[in-house]
Amino acid sequence: MPASNKFGITKKQANGIDCFYLEGYLDAHTAPQLESAFQESIDAGNYKILVNFRDLDYISSAGLGVFMAFIEDIRNENGDIKLTSMQDKVFSVFDLLGFPMLFDIEVNEINAIEKFLSKNSNDLSK
Amino acid sequence: MKLMQLKNSYLKIAMTSVNKHIDNICVKANFSELEKIREFVFSYAEDYYFSEVDAQKITLAVDEACTNLMRYAHNCNFDFSICIDIFISDNEFVVQIIDEGEPFDPLSVESPDMKKYFAEFRKGGLGIHIMRSVMDNIKYQPSQPTERKNILKLTKFLPNS
Repeated sequence: MPASNKFGITKKQANGIDCFYLEGYLDAHTAPQLESAFQESIDAGNYKILVNFRDLDYISSAGLGVFMAFIEDIRNENGDIKLTSMQDKVFSVFDLLGFPMLFDIEVNEINAIEKFLSKNSNDLSK
Repeated sequence: MKLMQLKNSYLKIAMTSVNKHIDNICVKANFSELEKIREFVFSYAEDYYFSEVDAQKITLAVDEACTNLMRYAHNCNFDFSICIDIFISDNEFVVQIIDEGEPFDPLSVESPDMKKYFAEFRKGGLGIHIMRSVMDNIKYQPSQPTERKNILKLTKFLPNS
């Protein structure tokens, strides 16, 4: 699939977490790219996913739908999709529909990483 | 004097019901056209003094409406067109979306209870909920037997109206 110049995903791995950095516009046209990226992580057995929204300027319900499509399976595998660093205009769309009820939305990446790591140590201590 | 007041109020009512056509854009029913639609709507919403936040909300509602048309009404058949007209009255900003697909009244879809939606990990169906949440009024007129032309009108009251 040709990459859209209006949407981009950069992936980095750190501490066993797949971190995705989104930029541009996430709509019905570009959402399939994010879907493939998440699917790749899951296929590789990585269920700890962090999504950094710092450079994302726009999201529609097609974008929100990608998170709904994966969250159940990922949590069933003891993983999570944590969302961080949203601009106000993007957060307002998540908030409008009540997504903070279901998703862990952190102000910055460090908070999200710490939550993933502290969950790991809790698991070990059980 | 009373007659004058009556006349003025009549004029005001008459004015509010007259929509002035501002501009029009027609695009192929293809997701790749969404960006063009958003730029078109956003720039006019800003021209008519909506705050950036409200201009973004109107743009989002139009994106959602067009996404649904492209996905469902046209079954991703890109030969169809979607036309978007902007109208202004003295207190309303109206975005009219015309398509030639199968008629489907978005107002027939109930907004989901989001607590249940999340508890059951449901998928889809949020576009119409967004449209309802951000616009002040939505009207739908399905096409007549003589002409394949569905009309969806999304209205937002102008700031300070």
